[in-house]
Amino acid sequence: MAQTLSLSDRIRSRRPLIIIAVIQIVLLTFIATWVMDIVIVEDTREVVDGVETITFRREMIGDPLLFALAAIGMSLPLLSKRLRREPVMMLAVQLAIVALLIFVLWPVAQVFAEGFQATEVGEGFSLEHFQRLFAKPMVARATRNTLWLGILSATLSTIIGAVVAYALTLTDIPWKRWLRILVVLTLISPPFAVSFAFILLFGRRGLITYDILGIQEWSIYGPDGIILVQLISNIPLAVLILMAVFASMNRDLEDAAEDLGAKTFRVLRTITFPLVTPALLTAWLLNFISSISDFGNPMLIGSGFQLLAPQAYIQRVELFDPELSAALAMLLVIPALIAFALQHQISNRRSYVTITGGARTGHVRNLPGWFKWPLFSIVLFLGLFNLLLYGSIFVGALVNNWGFDYTPTTRNLEALLVTADQLGNSLFVSVVAGVLGGLIGIVLAWLVSRDRFPGRGALDFSGTLMYAIPGTVVGIGFIIAFNAAPYLLTGTFGIIIIAYAFRRLPVALRSGVAGEKQIDPHLEEASLDLGASRPRTFAKITFPLLRTAFLAGVIYIFIRSMTDLSAAVFLSSAKTQLFTVQMFNVMIRGTPSAAAAFAALLIVIILLALAVLGRVTGKSFVDLFRIT
Amino acid sequence: MTEFATAEIRLENLSKHFKDVVAVDDVNLEVEAGSLVCLLGPSGCGKTTTLRMIAGFEDPTSGSIFIGDEDVTELAPYARPSAMVFQSYALFPHMSVYENVAYGLKARRTPKDEIPGKVQEALALMELEGQEEKSPPQLSGGQQQRVALARALVIRPKVLLFDEPLSNLDAQLRVRMRSELRDIQHRLGITSVYVTHDQEEAFSIADLVAIMNKGKLTQLGSPIDLYQRPADRFVAEFVGLSNVVPAELLGSNDRGADIRVFGQEIHSLQPPADPNGPISVVLRPEAIGITGGDDGGIPARVRSLAYVGPLLRYTVAVESDGTEIMVDLSNPSSEEFYEEGAAVSLELPKEVPALLS
Repeated sequence: MAQTLSLSDRIRSRRPLIIIAVIQIVLLTFIATWVMDIVIVEDTREVVDGVETITFRREMIGDPLLFALAAIGMSLPLLSKRLRREPVMMLAVQLAIVALLIFVLWPVAQVFAEGFQATEVGEGFSLEHFQRLFAKPMVARATRNTLWLGILSATLSTIIGAVVAYALTLTDIPWKRWLRILVVLTLISPPFAVSFAFILLFGRRGLITYDILGIQEWSIYGPDGIILVQLISNIPLAVLILMAVFASMNRDLEDAAEDLGAKTFRVLRTITFPLVTPALLTAWLLNFISSISDFGNPMLIGSGFQLLAPQAYIQRVELFDPELSAALAMLLVIPALIAFALQHQISNRRSYVTITGGARTGHVRNLPGWFKWPLFSIVLFLGLFNLLLYGSIFVGALVNNWGFDYTPTTRNLEALLVTADQLGNSLFVSVVAGVLGGLIGIVLAWLVSRDRFPGRGALDFSGTLMYAIPGTVVGIGFIIAFNAAPYLLTGTFGIIIIAYAFRRLPVALRSGVAGEKQIDPHLEEASLDLGASRPRTFAKITFPLLRTAFLAGVIYIFIRSMTDLSAAVFLSSAKTQLFTVQMFNVMIRGTPSAAAAFAALLIVIILLALAVLGRVTGKSFVDLFRIT
Repeated sequence: MTEFATAEIRLENLSKHFKDVVAVDDVNLEVEAGSLVCLLGPSGCGKTTTLRMIAGFEDPTSGSIFIGDEDVTELAPYARPSAMVFQSYALFPHMSVYENVAYGLKARRTPKDEIPGKVQEALALMELEGQEEKSPPQLSGGQQQRVALARALVIRPKVLLFDEPLSNLDAQLRVRMRSELRDIQHRLGITSVYVTHDQEEAFSIADLVAIMNKGKLTQLGSPIDLYQRPADRFVAEFVGLSNVVPAELLGSNDRGADIRVFGQEIHSLQPPADPNGPISVVLRPEAIGITGGDDGGIPARVRSLAYVGPLLRYTVAVESDGTEIMVDLSNPSSEEFYEEGAAVSLELPKEVPALLS
């Protein structure tokens, strides 16, 4: 009995290598036929005695470099003895590597490749090329503006966010429960809805500026407006990051400082803020990325103020200069990547806040009135302001023509019926991208958080990288990478779905990794030990336990895809029109009320998606957007 | 639950390195078919890593693992004929008790109609009838432990692996489960490896105890062997014999040795391994007599006294050189209470089993 069993086990131990070898051949063949193609092209054409002779030759098109990179990437996990024993794990890791290579690294690399062509020099990497690029006044100006705007916007939103987060967690101001929701409300809106609401309220025919205050000379359009809008959009992110930190801070330290004779401000300055410095830096860097990536708001409200993201779009789509567009995109990626790398560094370092276990946290201080009420006013103002912005969108949708005629009507809502097709497209694309991205995220999280294998760090990094890549760059990268034969993805739903799924992958991945950390690793081991294979263990144990994390990832990607504009303007086509693109056009060319109806509908859809999330998982939208 | 095709386990030159750290260092161990061997040692000694290598969760850096005649070193965990009981039980929280126990059978493609019978048999063995539909968090710690064991036994492994299975239970339950585990293991006659850091647990449950320290297997022996003839100071102290004092060799032959400790002459039943090197002797705390005043024994002074369970434990300092000695009294009478600072007299045992080199 023991003998026969051991024999069959021995065969079983050899079998993996054969299966893996077969997988390699199939996978490589598949990639080869996908990224390369052989076409027959006309070679010569001769006319002899009135008879025309055409000779053809075969020519290879596509990206042999990409194929080579994929082959190299695939060979990395082959080094792992553990993976060699388990063909399914090997396949999963190799597929992940290939997918991230083709759909994350390759498109971004294409932006650089084409960006360098715009510097009109062929070979090599040199600062000279950049000098030549900056010699163009528009490029230099857009870069300068973008960086200044990013620094200013990130600094202000972090400072205000810190004050608001402090007030909402560690003080005894009233109505905290409601204010917490109100101040982060703009997280769930389509990014450019804020600037649209600003136009409704403070624009040339704005309700407050024109109708109430009667101002006509001043306008919201321009750099001031962009900063205001970005503040309103970005403060919630800073608030969320810092609220989490303030709430988990050891309050004994502050009490100790006070006990030693420090007054309120001294305690804040010498204890509280030094402790939260890593979180402040994180908030700053993420808001910096968000600000320089911003496309919709500057397009709507910027009034020609030159910034990299909108210029990259204008150069390509309106002025037909794809090389310059790629160069601008490249200049946009560089600071974003630097900020991302710094953020990565900070989050890997041990934070002061989490060292002390079992410490007293979240204790609310009684503040002196002169300090408490100004704080309360700031938070209340922000909360009410957000409410006003949302209110104006919903009211705007229900009046005849905002700015001119405020009689109630449903005609704007009825007009939405015309865009049923675009709405259907957007829903379809977002649902598929959500499920696809959520699945990839959860599998990737499983791979990177359990076993050690060569290339695991690179896999994790590539999976998170897209967080730093502005949507404009994603759009341009995908167009450049997959426009030509043999891919021919341009103009299909496929390219939009893939772009969205991989663009928002980082949050699904982090959500999955956080979920994995909650699960006792012994559960998976117990399953393996009882004889279940890796895939079975994943299907029966890991995935069911990660259901919440998976769903959070799916809903997040769904919402972000529904509200995306910056990548959509490049990727959607006549056959694949998207709702946000249509909405954007109406905002620029239609009446404010017609556009408000679009924005209102989008907000309702997002709220529904969040309600589903809350129903199924018990998570609130605040949990969903908490990424650090 | 009778016909278990059990098999012996053999570890040959097994080593595991984590980067620079040597977690397991050249371990050789044979676990006889049907016996229970405890891996005992302080945390970080490599006992859990060794167990996880047997289960297949860690790859050995070098060496091989045999279960029966079969080299399983290269097999994935799910292809090995072993089953593990985890410290955290690792019961699947999203499945009922029944589904937990049936899990391994389904994974191993047991014919569908055989599964209910086998599950019921395993549940009956662990006295879990009627708990089938409960979910693990609804059960007490002891019941969860039984489910974990039923789940491991139902797949009829050749080898059972226990990773500190009792450490999440309270003290009383731990003692009861210990003997229950032992009974079941005996009854089924299934080869088992049991990891613990609790000396008492190891000694009460194991046929043989393997003491590990810093990745090395220091000594393998029956509880009595280890207690009477510890191989070195570490083993002596780890099994709870904490008086290791230097001794002077007076003379030795094949059958034993005469030594002098604190001026008293005593006899060792074994000669020292190295007659020329320094030697020390293990004095069991309960083997030392203690009397008040100057009673002709070794003069000493009480440093502290405390109750350790039912024992009264004195720590005394020998007057001549200040060496601290522990003395245990199991049933002290009222005149055997000596206060801190009191002068006492120690009486050493006339015979010790062995010497340390």
